[in-house]
Amino acid sequence: MRRLELGHINIKDIQFGPESKIEDGVLYVDEEAVKAIVLEDEKIKSCKLDIARPGESVRITPVKDVIEPRVKVEGRGGVFPGVINKVDTVGEGKTYALKGMAVVTAGKIVGFQEGIIDMTGPGADYTPFSKLNNLVVVCEPVDGLKQHDYEPAVRFAGFRVAVYLGELARELTPDSTEVFETYGIMEGAEKLPGLPRVAYVQMLQSQGLLHDTYVYGVDAKKTLSTMMTPTEVMDGAIVSGNCVSACDKNPTYVHENNPVVHDLFAEHGKTLNFVAHILTNENVYLADKQRSSDWTAKLCRLLDLDGVVVSQEGFGNPDTDLIMNCKKIEAEGIKTVIITDEYAGRDGKSQSLADADAAADAVVTGGNANQVIVLPKLDKVIGTLDYVNTIAGGNEHSLHDDGTIEVEIQAITGATNETGFGYLSAR
Amino acid sequence: MGRLKGNKGSVALNRPIFIKRQTGENMKADFIILTNNPLIVEKLGQEYTVEYEDISYEDTLKKVRDYIYKGHELLTHPLSGSVKPNETPYKSIMISKKVQRLNQDSVKIIEQAIQSCGKFEFKSDKYAEDVYDDFQYIDYTLISSALPSATAW
Amino acid sequence: MIKVVHYINQFFANIGGEEMAHIPAELHKGEVMGPGLAFKASFKDEAEITATIVCGDSWFNENLEEAKKTILAWVKEENPDVFVAGPAFNAGRYGVACGTIAEAVQEELGIPAVTGMYEENPGADMFKNKVYTVPTKNSAAGMRAAVANMAPLALKLAKGEAIGASCQDNYMPNGVRVNFFEEKRGSRRAVDMLLKKLADKPFTTEYPMPAFDRVPPMPPVKDLSKATIALVTSGGIVPKGNPDHIESSNASHYGEYDITGVIDLTEDTYETAHGGYDPVYANEDADRVLPVDVLRDMEKEGVIGKLHNKFYTTVGNGTAVASAKAFSEEFAQKLIDDGVDAVILTST
Repeated sequence: MRRLELGHINIKDIQFGPESKIEDGVLYVDEEAVKAIVLEDEKIKSCKLDIARPGESVRITPVKDVIEPRVKVEGRGGVFPGVINKVDTVGEGKTYALKGMAVVTAGKIVGFQEGIIDMTGPGADYTPFSKLNNLVVVCEPVDGLKQHDYEPAVRFAGFRVAVYLGELARELTPDSTEVFETYGIMEGAEKLPGLPRVAYVQMLQSQGLLHDTYVYGVDAKKTLSTMMTPTEVMDGAIVSGNCVSACDKNPTYVHENNPVVHDLFAEHGKTLNFVAHILTNENVYLADKQRSSDWTAKLCRLLDLDGVVVSQEGFGNPDTDLIMNCKKIEAEGIKTVIITDEYAGRDGKSQSLADADAAADAVVTGGNANQVIVLPKLDKVIGTLDYVNTIAGGNEHSLHDDGTIEVEIQAITGATNETGFGYLSAR
Repeated sequence: MGRLKGNKGSVALNRPIFIKRQTGENMKADFIILTNNPLIVEKLGQEYTVEYEDISYEDTLKKVRDYIYKGHELLTHPLSGSVKPNETPYKSIMISKKVQRLNQDSVKIIEQAIQSCGKFEFKSDKYAEDVYDDFQYIDYTLISSALPSATAW
Repeated sequence: MIKVVHYINQFFANIGGEEMAHIPAELHKGEVMGPGLAFKASFKDEAEITATIVCGDSWFNENLEEAKKTILAWVKEENPDVFVAGPAFNAGRYGVACGTIAEAVQEELGIPAVTGMYEENPGADMFKNKVYTVPTKNSAAGMRAAVANMAPLALKLAKGEAIGASCQDNYMPNGVRVNFFEEKRGSRRAVDMLLKKLADKPFTTEYPMPAFDRVPPMPPVKDLSKATIALVTSGGIVPKGNPDHIESSNASHYGEYDITGVIDLTEDTYETAHGGYDPVYANEDADRVLPVDVLRDMEKEGVIGKLHNKFYTTVGNGTAVASAKAFSEEFAQKLIDDGVDAVILTST
């Protein structure tokens, strides 16, 4: 048996202060210390920190990543293995997470950079991150830095800050603790006889720059479909390098708090046996898709599964992977539910997915990403609105004279998340 | 080399159509890259066979479709990248050099991709100049991500 | 107070069943009839039915243009805030009439409309994407539930309120995807759906895949000059007088007709039974829909082996997919038994 205790350190507020510490549920941040951590990378010229709290009239844009600070207090390895800490298998022992807050990295990487988090108003309903106290890190690159150098610089800066803040919790006593236990294949079959054997198949965005995901530091597009113990993501085994399609990309926060992993654990030992977390990719090359989906179905068969939940990330190209996975896993006689989102056009009348198959008879949807929404003018913008007109789903009329923004919800970070992180749906 | 700002369709072209077929030195490579992104010619044209034409995103997909109906196999997904059709003006797609029997999977994928263009507001011509460099570069990284697999055997 | 005009058939007006289906449309100003009473109760003080229109199902479907014109004039005069038709449950012609008139009221008068019927009612397939159609049970025993769903939707439409997703406002999915917030997050819904699927319990997908009825293409005819070719149409071409009474819409059967020796379909010998397009050109020369003349030429020229001596015909106008499938399965077997090599299928 493998066991991970996840301690929750509840953060009610973030404030800047002379010394970084957590006291009575308040995270005090030494601004200069955090800036120094960001500027360790010489590719970053300058950085600004800001705090956005739930309900405040604040808009954060363009958002790159959202990260929950965590610290490994017992057991092998450290958080973000192969990225910040050394490669070592994680997912066992004890980990503390700073709940109710996140580190948000923002700043322009490309001219069509995207991602809006509104802390109040109608937009706030569409992003799960409006409910968090956010420490926003806005980075500026050194002059002339190329996108492929700048993206990892900002990505790593976010992780370094998150790890720094997570460390503040090391000696604290958690407000509450969740315990997750998983079994080996044989052990699980013996301990939980008669329960259906279920796995989670997670498709990782893996198409190239701004579209990449890393597993223990390895670029997912260079991997064969593989599997993990479901607790490994809770220690940051998967991190996001994905900056495009704000509504349905998975920020690192979503990987750490993967909702399918969480909700399968809630049923584990009661109505099902949560056997494994299978990872597969969404490559551009069609033969890679065939290989990866073959491999996924093969792993499902080898594990003698009865059912799987498959989640997706992104638009278009991944629809093909999703349907291939679903078809092949169903063909193995394994019951499959898929989670996706839709691009049904602004009027909702177009075909929602770029691929389809009758085998996909159990679909959960995160809603139509083309839905248009008008966001009111908010008092403060963290980041810049320069790019609002060019974010996915925006157009030349996006930014009105009165400061309101008219965009498709695909511009809002996490709006139609395809791991089922949110509540939005469509019929 | 012309800087394309995303035409809605070939009818809208008011300049001579520029097609460039460049056969690279890597004769082993069994594929052609069809593109409307000038950066691909520059970056990959020396080594691989690149066919560049100054046409729209959608017309690039339609051109790929025409090749597929001639028996070329589709090798990369036409909707690669999360940047949506009509948002980015650029698209590069890899097809086989070899002409064989019509590949039904290729037909299905390309037809569905062409269909989905209609779902997105056209705004490929609405950006500041330097944004087009970013679009070109991202398209280049997307097609490049297929190269290791495409040249593996 | 919101004004409602209610449309029902002769049966629900207590006039009679099939034997009274021929009665023409009647306007009952100020009267609330049949299911209207249930609507009245459900509307409470928010809305009143200012008129009830009663129409025989046969009369409506056989006098389509006149029926539409008459009823639209009445509705225009009443100028209601919303038009309610039915519910029609599993009555096929009633369902088609409800859908037809509700769509016409909506399109031509700009008055919102709602109807209700059983999902297998042919009217549902025809109109659910055009008019908000509430799914009902297959018999009038489901009246209470039908009204409970139709009445609030009618009020919403009358008030011009935004209509929610199909599962929120209880109408049949109509091809328009509408966003809304669920009570449980997506991952939890996925796990719940999987548990149901694993237990072989019924579950409802949130996104039904587009319907596929893909037929793998047959290999090409090897030698056309030796092949027997048959003609099949959904364009309603029948011998003059429509001897088998194929319905002008929602056909219940198909016809099989011998064309041995027939070289040309003429105005005197053939016509169309189809009620869904202007029949003038088909009646003038039925070859325009069923090209017997051209195939006879090809037969003579040796392009094809021969034209099969029978053709099969029905009316595609609103005919349920299930019926069409049943017809074709039956006559496809006859075609195979008769040694036909290929079929030319014409539509309109």
